[in-house]
Amino acid sequence: MLRIVPSGSALTLQFSSLMADDRKALAQGLRRRDPELLDRLIEQYQYRLFRYLVYLTASRDRAEDFFQETWIRVLERGHQYDGKSKFEAWLFAIARHLVIDWQRQKKVQSLDQLTDPEQGAPLQLAAENEPSPLKMVLSHEEEAGVHASLERIPAIYREVLVLRFQEELQIEEMATLLDTPVSTVKSRLYRGLEAVRQAMQGGAA
Amino acid sequence: MNGKVHALAKRIIVQERVEGISREEREWLGEHLRECASCAKLAQETDEALRSLRGMAIPLPRGLAAQTQFRVRLRAQELRETEPRRRLLWLTCAMSWALGVASAPYVWKAFEWLGQITGAPKIVWQIGFGLWWTIPALVAAAIMLLENAKQTAESDWTPQGK
Repeated sequence: MLRIVPSGSALTLQFSSLMADDRKALAQGLRRRDPELLDRLIEQYQYRLFRYLVYLTASRDRAEDFFQETWIRVLERGHQYDGKSKFEAWLFAIARHLVIDWQRQKKVQSLDQLTDPEQGAPLQLAAENEPSPLKMVLSHEEEAGVHASLERIPAIYREVLVLRFQEELQIEEMATLLDTPVSTVKSRLYRGLEAVRQAMQGGAA
Repeated sequence: MNGKVHALAKRIIVQERVEGISREEREWLGEHLRECASCAKLAQETDEALRSLRGMAIPLPRGLAAQTQFRVRLRAQELRETEPRRRLLWLTCAMSWALGVASAPYVWKAFEWLGQITGAPKIVWQIGFGLWWTIPALVAAAIMLLENAKQTAESDWTPQGK
């Protein structure tokens, strides 16, 4: 249990060591393929992982498929989690790779190349038969405007926006997860934020 | 005020939200925003966009966690069933390799002796020795590849809506 001590730095130190212990225990549990632990993790991270996948794929159905497949991978490759990094960053990296692999199977080169507007047309992951996939995700009318704005933003920007402003990951953590230099992550965040602002203004106008 | 000042203010507005800014930059920006209505509007719009983004809710599909837990447990059971076989295969390979190495000088002599009594050319019994060494490894490799191919086919899946 976390014991509160007056000094801020000591508290930080104790807290980080507790986190490290937790991660170590988590890594051991994943190595053992502990079913109870996996059940708990699925419950605990369901919303965050699903949200990340919805942002990444722009499709609720695909996000559901990738969600399940991600946890199967966590089970199979749990021994690869070393307990040094944040579990959620490792989890999102698995999910991201699954999406990229799926894209590659569809005869494309990589998510980054497809989604980076500087290198060509932005990725549209929506299936041909789905009229407006992102709209299906949101049920509230007042959120439809936000949603419509996000639809106009390339996936590569949506991804960094969700990681930074909803998951609140550090830029360095994002760089590791995305296997991208810190400068590129920052650049995507700058452009993504500007894009979302413009898209929302466009939607409001 | 020239365009460069506004461009700088715009960059700092975004930088502040993305990675933070220094105290000097914050002071400068605050002063600029008090004087410049268009940059102040831009800062406000950026904050509104961020607020909307953070407040956006994505409803979870009903039963998603339960379905996933069920699939994960099934897969775990499959893995538990196949793993002892795989381990046994690896163990057999390792033992076979160790025995092969340990017995190589004797087998070499045995092949040499066979060559002498049958009058076979040297190259023939040497090839025989080579095959004696490589065939089990090739068989083991083939089994491994087949196992892997089977596993990949089993875990292959197609997302809905494809």
